[in-house]
Amino acid sequence: MKYSYVGKEISRIDACEKVTGTALYTADMKLQGMLYTRLLKSPHAHARILKIDTSEAEKLPGVRAILTGEEIPHQFGIYMTDKYMLAREKVRHVGEPVVAVAADTEEIAEQAVELIKVEYEELPAVFDPCEALKTDAPLVHENLHEYLHAPFVFPKPHTNIANHFKLRKGDVERGFKGADVIVENEFNQPMVQNVQMETHASIGQWLPSGQINVWSSAQSPFAVRHLLSVGLGVPIHKINVQVPYVGGGFGGKAGLHWEPLVVLLSKKAGGRPVKLVMTREEEFNTAAVRQGMHARIKTGVKRDGKIVAGEIEYIWDSGAYADYGVNIGRAAGYSCSGPYEIPNVKCDSLTVYTNHPYGTAYRGFGHVEFHWAIERQMDLVARAIGMDPVEFRLKNAALPGCITVTGEKLREDCGRVDECIKAVAKELRWGKKKPERKGTKVRGIGIAALWKAPAMPPYTSSSAIVKLNEDGTATLSISLIEMGQGTATAFAQMVAEGLQIPVEKVKVVSRQETDYAPYSWQTVASRGAFMDGNAVLRAIEDARGQIKETAAELLGVSKDKLTLADGKVLAEGRPEKGLPLGTIATCGILPSGSGIKGPILGYGYYTAEGLTGLDPETGQGLPALMWTFGAQGAEVEVDTETGEVRVLKVVTALDLGKALNPLLVRGQIYGGVVQGLGTTFSEEFIFNEKGVLLNNNLTDYKIFRAPDIPDEFVPILIENPKHNAPYGARGIGEHPTISIGPAVANAIYDATGVDLYDLPMSREKVWLELKRAEGRK
Amino acid sequence: MIPKFDYLRPKTTEELVGLMAEYGEDAKLLAGGTDLLVLMRDKLIRPRYVIDLKGIGELRGLSWDEKRGLRIGATATLNELLESEVVKERFSVLWSAVGVLADPTLRNRATLVGNICNASPAADTAPALLVLDAEVEVAGKDGERIIPIRDFFTGVKRTSLKPGEFVRAVRIPNPPEGAKGGYYKWGRTRGEDLAVVGVAALVANSGRRIMRVALSSVFKTPLRVFEVEKIFEGEGPLGEQIERAVSVVREKIAPITDVRGGKEYRLHMAGALTRRALEELLGGS
Repeated sequence: MKYSYVGKEISRIDACEKVTGTALYTADMKLQGMLYTRLLKSPHAHARILKIDTSEAEKLPGVRAILTGEEIPHQFGIYMTDKYMLAREKVRHVGEPVVAVAADTEEIAEQAVELIKVEYEELPAVFDPCEALKTDAPLVHENLHEYLHAPFVFPKPHTNIANHFKLRKGDVERGFKGADVIVENEFNQPMVQNVQMETHASIGQWLPSGQINVWSSAQSPFAVRHLLSVGLGVPIHKINVQVPYVGGGFGGKAGLHWEPLVVLLSKKAGGRPVKLVMTREEEFNTAAVRQGMHARIKTGVKRDGKIVAGEIEYIWDSGAYADYGVNIGRAAGYSCSGPYEIPNVKCDSLTVYTNHPYGTAYRGFGHVEFHWAIERQMDLVARAIGMDPVEFRLKNAALPGCITVTGEKLREDCGRVDECIKAVAKELRWGKKKPERKGTKVRGIGIAALWKAPAMPPYTSSSAIVKLNEDGTATLSISLIEMGQGTATAFAQMVAEGLQIPVEKVKVVSRQETDYAPYSWQTVASRGAFMDGNAVLRAIEDARGQIKETAAELLGVSKDKLTLADGKVLAEGRPEKGLPLGTIATCGILPSGSGIKGPILGYGYYTAEGLTGLDPETGQGLPALMWTFGAQGAEVEVDTETGEVRVLKVVTALDLGKALNPLLVRGQIYGGVVQGLGTTFSEEFIFNEKGVLLNNNLTDYKIFRAPDIPDEFVPILIENPKHNAPYGARGIGEHPTISIGPAVANAIYDATGVDLYDLPMSREKVWLELKRAEGRK
Repeated sequence: MIPKFDYLRPKTTEELVGLMAEYGEDAKLLAGGTDLLVLMRDKLIRPRYVIDLKGIGELRGLSWDEKRGLRIGATATLNELLESEVVKERFSVLWSAVGVLADPTLRNRATLVGNICNASPAADTAPALLVLDAEVEVAGKDGERIIPIRDFFTGVKRTSLKPGEFVRAVRIPNPPEGAKGGYYKWGRTRGEDLAVVGVAALVANSGRRIMRVALSSVFKTPLRVFEVEKIFEGEGPLGEQIERAVSVVREKIAPITDVRGGKEYRLHMAGALTRRALEELLGGS
C-alpha cells in the first residue's frame, strides 16, 4: 500500500513553536490575582507530627492561605488511595510536604515557610524493601487495611506490602526437577528520577461558585479531573482541567500530582488562582521518583537450551506511597519472564512501602527494572550451559503461537522478537572475531531482548474529533498530551492521508481542555499512537462519510462513487465535477442557494478490546492489548585501568508494525537510548543512613549530557503489521529505554569477563569489580 | 528564591575598599556569581549586601608581556582565558584546566579569581596555578600585598585573605623555557562534572629538568606535591622516575569518600592520572 503522508519523514508540527520559545507551558502562565506556593517539608524520614505553629507566618503581610494536613483530610489516588496532599499525624519520607503557604509572591511564601515551627517525634524508619518485609519492621502505613484501592491490587494489611502480585503457570516444582542445570542470581537497582526538563507545575482555582479550574503539567487531563472529583467530592462537570504543552513527562506526570493542593489553597484564599512550581530539588525529594528494585531469579534449563522453569521474585522499593507503585509491580509481574516462553513459572512481585521518597511511573513502567534482571540472567544461564546468548534467546523466544506467563496464546500478528534479536546480532557482527586489546582498553558486545504491553486496566478508552473548516483545512482534537513524543505529528499525517489534504492544512489542537476536548484515559503506557490513533482513524472515517453524504446530494451521484483527492471530493470518471472540501465544510449549498446537511464533525473512539482481569492467585488472564517486541545491543570499550565504559554503538531493533513517521521514531529511539544509558551508568539516589537524599540536584545526580552519548546509534525498524492497529503500528514510546542496561552489562562481561549485578555501573563500580575479579584470580 | 540583599556596584577599587570596610561580614563580593548565587539560593549564606566587581574598570581583562607574564583581572571570565592565544600557547596547563571547568554557558560568567576565592578543594584552575607558581594580588584597606598561590588556600573553602581584603588579580610568571603542561580531570561522566580527581602537571626538559604536579579533590585544599620535583632532577630511566612520582603523589594526598567518589578510587585515579599526565608530557623526551 502506498501512502501520501503516512510513513513519511515529516518534521514535528510543534517544532517552530518550541524552537522559537513561543510554546506555552504551565510554568509560563500568569493569571490575574495569582498567588504563589511554597512548601514546608519534612526533615525526617519517619516521625510523628506533634505540633505545627503557623502563627508567625500568618502575621506576615501578603500571606493569603496556609494549609496543614489536619485541614485537608481528602485522600487521592488512582490505584491505591494512600496519600494525603500534606502529611497528617506523621511524615513518611524526607521531603514530604507538611505545610503549604500561598502568598502574593514566591519570596513572601518562602519567608512564611521559614516562620513556621513544627515539632516532630522521630520514629524508627525502614529503607530497604527486603528489611521492610520482616515482621518486626516499622510500619509505614498502619491503616493500610482501610485504604481504598483498585480491585486488581492486593495489599497485605498490617505489613508494608502494598501489593502482592502472584503468578503461577504450570508446575514449577516439576519444572525444576526436570531441569539439567539451575541458575540463581540476584540483581539490584536504586531509585532514580524522571528529570523532566519542566518541573511539576500546577495552577488551581476554586471559585466561590463551585467551579474548579486547573492548569497543569499533567500527562492526563481527564484522569486529573476524575481523581480530583472523587477526592474532593465535587461533581465532574464543575471541574475544567487545561493542559498546555508539557516539558517532558516520562511517566512522572501521569495520574494526579499537586493539582488538589493548589485547588484547596485557592479555596482557602477565596478563589484566587494559586500556582505551585516545584524546584529541581523538590523534584527529587518531594515529587515522585522511579522505584528501586531487588530481584531474585532462579532458572531451570535443559542442556539443549530450553528453559523449563522460572522462579522470580521482584521486590519493589515503593517508598512512602504506592499509588502507582502497586500497578508497576503488577505490570512487571504479568510480564515477568521477558519475551520468552517458559512452561512453568512462579512469580511474586511485591510492592513494598519504605521511608524513601515515593515511586511512580517512569518510562518503561517496571520493565526497565525487571529486564535488567531477566536479560542479565539470560546471559548467565546461557553461559552455564555453554550456549551462545543469541542462540539461547532464539531457542526460548516468545513467537506467535507461544503461551505467555499469563496463559495468553500469542497471535500471528503479535510481532517477532526473533527478527529483532537477529537484526541486532547481525549489526553487532555477532560471532565475528573480537578486536585486540589496546593497552588498558578492551572491547565487547552484548545483546538483550525486550517486550512490553501497555500497562493499564482492561477497560480504557480514547476518542477523537476531526472538524472540516471552511477553507478545506482540518482541525483535530484529541486529549493525548504532546510532551515530546511526537504523536500529534503522526496524527496530522493520518488526517492528511484520510482527507487527502497536505499536512500543512491539518492542525492538531495542542492545548487540551476537558470542557471541550474528547475523552482519553491517559497519555501513558505507549498506548497513544495505537489507541488514540484508532480513535482518530474512526473520526476521519466518520468525517469522510459525512463529506460524501453532502457531496452525493450536491453532485447527484451515489456515495460509493465518490473519492477524496487533492482537497476535493471527486465523482468517479467525472473529474471536472470535483467539489473543494471547503465548500461543504459547514453545509452543502444547492444551485438554488438553499443549504443542506451541516458542519462536518467526525467523531471516533477506541476501547481496549479483549482484555480481562487476572486471577488473583495465578495471574492468569489477558492483560496485554499489544506486545511490542524488541532487542538492543551495545558495543563497549572498557578501560580496565579506570573503569570507564565508553559506548561505541547502540543498536535498537523494534517490531513496531509500521513507522508512521520514521524520522520521529528514530528521535524516540535516540532519546530513549540516552535516557537508558543515564540510568545504566550514572543516575542513582544516594541516601545517608537517616534517609536524607545526598544528591538532590543535577550537580551530583548525573544525567547524561551531549558528550556522554554513544558514538553511533543504529535504529532498526521492523514492520510486521498488527491487525486492527492504525496502519499496523504498535506503541514504542517506552521501549528504547528498556534493555539498554543489560545489553551494556552483557557487553562489559564480553569485554572483561566480569559480571555486574547492580545498577548503575559507574566508573568507580566497574573499577572495583574489575579489581575484585583480579584479586580472585 | 534568593534572599533579599542590597546590590552595590562600585566604580573604583577605592570605593570598593570603602564599602568592604563599612559592611564587613555583611557583604559578599560578586564576580560571575556562579558559586555565590548557588550558596545564596540554598540559604547557606545570607549577605545583606552584594558588591558587584564588574563595574570596576581596572579589574577587567587579561594582560601579558614578555617580562612580567600574564595578569588575570578579578572579573576576567573563563571564556576570555579560553579565547586568549597567549594563554593557549604559553600557559597550556591553565588553558586545558579552564576548558574542562563547568560548561561553555557557565564559563561565560565564571571567573578564575572567583574559582580560587571560592577555595573548593575541587577548584579546577587551582592545580594549574599551583604548578605555574602563580601569585595572588591582594588589596584592602591596609594596602596591597602579594600572596604566593601555594600559601593562598588554607582549608576547605578557606583562604588566607583577611577581612577587608579582596583579590585584584592573579599574576602568572612566564613558564620555564620549553615547558609543557596539561590538566587531567576525572569525573563521573564525560559530560560536565566536578572533579573526582584532577591532576595538573608541568614539565620541561630543555636546560633545566622540571616536573611539577598539583591535584584537586584529593586533599582539604588544592595540593602541589613538591616532593615529586626532585625525582626528575636526578638520573635514571624515565619510566622509573614516573612510577616514583606516582607513588609519592599517592603518599602525600588524603582523599575522602563522598557522593562523588570513594577514597580508594580517588587514590587509584590520582596515581593513574599522574602517570598518564607525565607519560604524555614527557613521552617524547
